[in-house]
Amino acid sequence: MTDEELKLKIAACAKCGSCRSVCTLYPERRDEQSVARGKIALIESSLAAPVPLCPGDTIPLGEESDAAIRDALADCLLCGRCERNCPNQVAVEEILVGGRTRLAGKLGLSAWKRWLFGEMLPSAGARGAIRAAGGFAQKLFLRKVPTESGLHYRFPDLAGLHGRTVPALPPSGFVASLPEGEGLIGEVLLFVGCVFDIVMPGIGRAAYETMKASGASVAVLRESACCGLPALASGDREGALKSVTKNIASIRARSPKSVVFPCGSCLTMFRREVLSLIPEGDPLRADADWVSGRCVDYATFILETGLAGRLNPMPVVEKGSVGWHDPCHLSGTLGRGGVARDLLTRVAGDAFREMAGASLCCGYGGTFNVRDYPTSGRLGANKVSLAVRGGTSTIVTACSGCILQLRDMAARFSTKTRVRHLAEIVRELLP
Amino acid sequence: MDDISRTRLREIFGDRFRDAPDDRLCYSFDATGREYLPDAVVFPLCTEEVRRTVLLANEFGFPVVPRGAGSGFSGGCLPVRGGVVLSTERMDRIITIDSGNLLAVVEPGVVTETLKEAARRLSLFYPPDPASMKFGTIGGNIAECAGGMSAVKYGVTRDYVLGLEAVLGTGELIRTGVSTAKGVVGYDLTRLLVGSEGTLGIITRATLKLLPLPGSTGTLLALFRDNGAAARAVAGIVAARITPSAMELMDRSAIDCVRRVVEIEMPENTGCALLVEVDGALAAVMAEADGVEAALRTHGAIEVRRATDEAGREQLWKLRRSISPALRKIGAVKLNEDIVVPRSALPVMMAFLSDLADRERLTIVNFGHAGDGNIHVNVMISGTDADERRRADAAVEAIFRKTIDLGGTISGEHGVGISKAPFFEMEVGPLGVSVMKRLKAAFDPKGILNPGKIWLDEGMARS
Ligand SMILES: Cc1cc2nc3c(=O)[nH]c(=O)nc-3n(C[C@H](O)[C@H](O)[C@H](O)COP(=O)(O)OP(=O)(O)OC[C@H]3O[C@@H](n4cnc5c(N)ncnc54)[C@H](O)[C@@H]3O)c2cc1C
Ligand code: SF4
Ligand code: SF4
Repeated sequence: MTDEELKLKIAACAKCGSCRSVCTLYPERRDEQSVARGKIALIESSLAAPVPLCPGDTIPLGEESDAAIRDALADCLLCGRCERNCPNQVAVEEILVGGRTRLAGKLGLSAWKRWLFGEMLPSAGARGAIRAAGGFAQKLFLRKVPTESGLHYRFPDLAGLHGRTVPALPPSGFVASLPEGEGLIGEVLLFVGCVFDIVMPGIGRAAYETMKASGASVAVLRESACCGLPALASGDREGALKSVTKNIASIRARSPKSVVFPCGSCLTMFRREVLSLIPEGDPLRADADWVSGRCVDYATFILETGLAGRLNPMPVVEKGSVGWHDPCHLSGTLGRGGVARDLLTRVAGDAFREMAGASLCCGYGGTFNVRDYPTSGRLGANKVSLAVRGGTSTIVTACSGCILQLRDMAARFSTKTRVRHLAEIVRELLP
Repeated sequence: MDDISRTRLREIFGDRFRDAPDDRLCYSFDATGREYLPDAVVFPLCTEEVRRTVLLANEFGFPVVPRGAGSGFSGGCLPVRGGVVLSTERMDRIITIDSGNLLAVVEPGVVTETLKEAARRLSLFYPPDPASMKFGTIGGNIAECAGGMSAVKYGVTRDYVLGLEAVLGTGELIRTGVSTAKGVVGYDLTRLLVGSEGTLGIITRATLKLLPLPGSTGTLLALFRDNGAAARAVAGIVAARITPSAMELMDRSAIDCVRRVVEIEMPENTGCALLVEVDGALAAVMAEADGVEAALRTHGAIEVRRATDEAGREQLWKLRRSISPALRKIGAVKLNEDIVVPRSALPVMMAFLSDLADRERLTIVNFGHAGDGNIHVNVMISGTDADERRRADAAVEAIFRKTIDLGGTISGEHGVGISKAPFFEMEVGPLGVSVMKRLKAAFDPKGILNPGKIWLDEGMARS
């Protein structure tokens, strides 16, 4: 996005302050910098002419404020509530990402992010190697926490780690564990996503097996790059574009009928962000449109196959003990929360009930969780405790970030609470 | 602001004192979109911190500008002379809701909707409902005397403020008013502070009156061929001795504007729409809604739609709620005025506005609270055409003159701030200005609190 385009998008903001009422972060920070209006004003001032024309006009902040503005922009969950609530339909996410990109361009990305987004995430092979090293280190250094959703490891409460837990890395990722000839060709393509491939391969496998059980011929996109969202959110357009270009080419080459996403954030990247990364007129755009239009969420796919009607009934569990958590991107940005609830109603019957605080953000926010774990943790703990107090003992959702976060929170505060992906629920009921 | 002042403020506030450029920038604006950079921002948690700030300001001579949510439409919280922006957003406790005595005691940073919701849970009702209630604060509402759609029946913020605690410009702490339904001891300082735009005192606590929550609400949307018919219907409703809890008028300009952005089904010849609500006990609501419907039909409504359930009511509100967002789409800049004329003068004013728009080749979109004569007049301009801007400025001045000639006022709820300062004297006259300045001197002799507002003083450019 050019500076002029960015300014034009910013001009739509009336500075009304309405975004203060919905911002996930505002109750934590309680200052204007945390909300969209403040962040937009900061970007605007970094773009302003050096001298305001008359009193009251936009005040320029010089380059010496660039680093502070970059930090203010990073202090955001990109949950999209401000944008969805904005009475003036300001493209807040695009503006914030545009601002982050602009500053990343001026100030440079940190060395580890450059490596992560530029080299690591776009390459399936490199990711596997890192996973193996990580799994070994976990066993060596961290304390075990058994939970209802699997073994977790706890970091010590020092050096800013605040007792964070992470799932135990399995010996092998989902794609790596597929037998050689398995899932090579099929009409429907499964885009597993980094987390469900490497960190929680059980979910990748559950998605794959249930999709096959639906009767479809399913191929797995083995050679996938990362969806590109982590890079884009950090302002690394090039890193994101590298992943996206690779993915679009490999998906287009397979010409699937549809591409199914167990992760809502990956799906948002393909349904929405890809189209702003590859503008009209770009030679890649035709392919991007073709691919984007075929991408669907897991629940929609499963409902359309009719598999839900052929499943075993759910074993007796307490009425209303199964709840649904709305991932911001899947339910908010893409509006697929209703479909996921339909699926849950079909498979869980009256065990499913609307969960208290279902649409609250889990507080993960991608790199936000790394940047400010205490705040991210408070938001997550609040979410889980509301759900538990409302009688939910199994939280079901469909986004990798949310599952990482909610499982961490359950491991820390409520080890009896189960956090499941829709696909795991469906797989347990396969006939 | 000098270094000693900064050091002293830092001693009081610790990390709740901010003076980095990015922090200051985020407190330089409000909903007018204009920006003036403060020297620093502080976030007090209690009355004592507010008092100490003002005492320091007296000692070192820097301005203090109270700010709630910065949603004001007249620039009230803009630090036009620099100094410290004192943000009340962290003083946001509801101290008590007393259902026996029907009152609430709150800190100034409480968001209006939060109070309304807390009252609702106890079947109580805090009626003021400015459209900004989900983010605007009680302190800001009191300082601007905010109103809303329900003003026609329930009045405005002023009517619910029983007593206040405030820090004066001298740093003295005053308690005004009562915690009772009545009280006549001495001058009514409470009412004086209400609407004083942060220039007389910083409100640190408010005692507010509550009502029992009405049991139900009925909503009607009537479509008319023209403003005249709608105005006659409004008179008809009043004549039927019904007081609606909302009576919103949208003229052709507003309807056309919405139609360009969202699809709302209505007859082609709709030239004016009237949205009416009645509230109270269910049986009364039904009877009043019948009365309203009869009046609407008698006065030539082309169509009347009616709803009592939540979903149906939302549907009827869609037209009204779509106006503001739609406005943003059709013009880059809007000159947003909120004049009030006596209810009986409404048809004259509406006709004047539509003639003016034709004559000056301007888009002027009008809608508002027909029940109390408050019209939101929006002059839409591209922002790039100098001649258009000149015609628009002249039009605004003409509208203000006509308003005053008709016995009205140039601001019903948004306040003077800096936006209406140039026209202030036109309404209150030289003696009015002089008496107000003398009052100001009594509350704030050194001119510490929110300088540069309400009246033009030396060095203020005409905005
Ligand atoms: C979308 C939108 C819709 C609106 N709709 C309405 C409406 O329907 N009706 C209406 O009346 N207004 C409306 N407004 C205007 C605005 O919301 C009100 O004026 C509101 O009262 C401002 O509250 P605030 O907390 O944002 O105050 P701010 O804008 O922060 O401040 C407003 C004034 O109050 C002073 N102030 C704030 N707190 C204190 C305090 N504790 N003590 C002393 N002075 C203080 C400030 O100095 C300033 O002069 C609307 C605004 C927007 C953006
Ligand atoms: S982003 Fe939208 S809601 Fe927030 S201040 Fe701007 S216009 Fe208002
Ligand atoms: S994306 Fe979420 S956290 Fe970020 S500013 Fe918007 S509402 Fe706040």
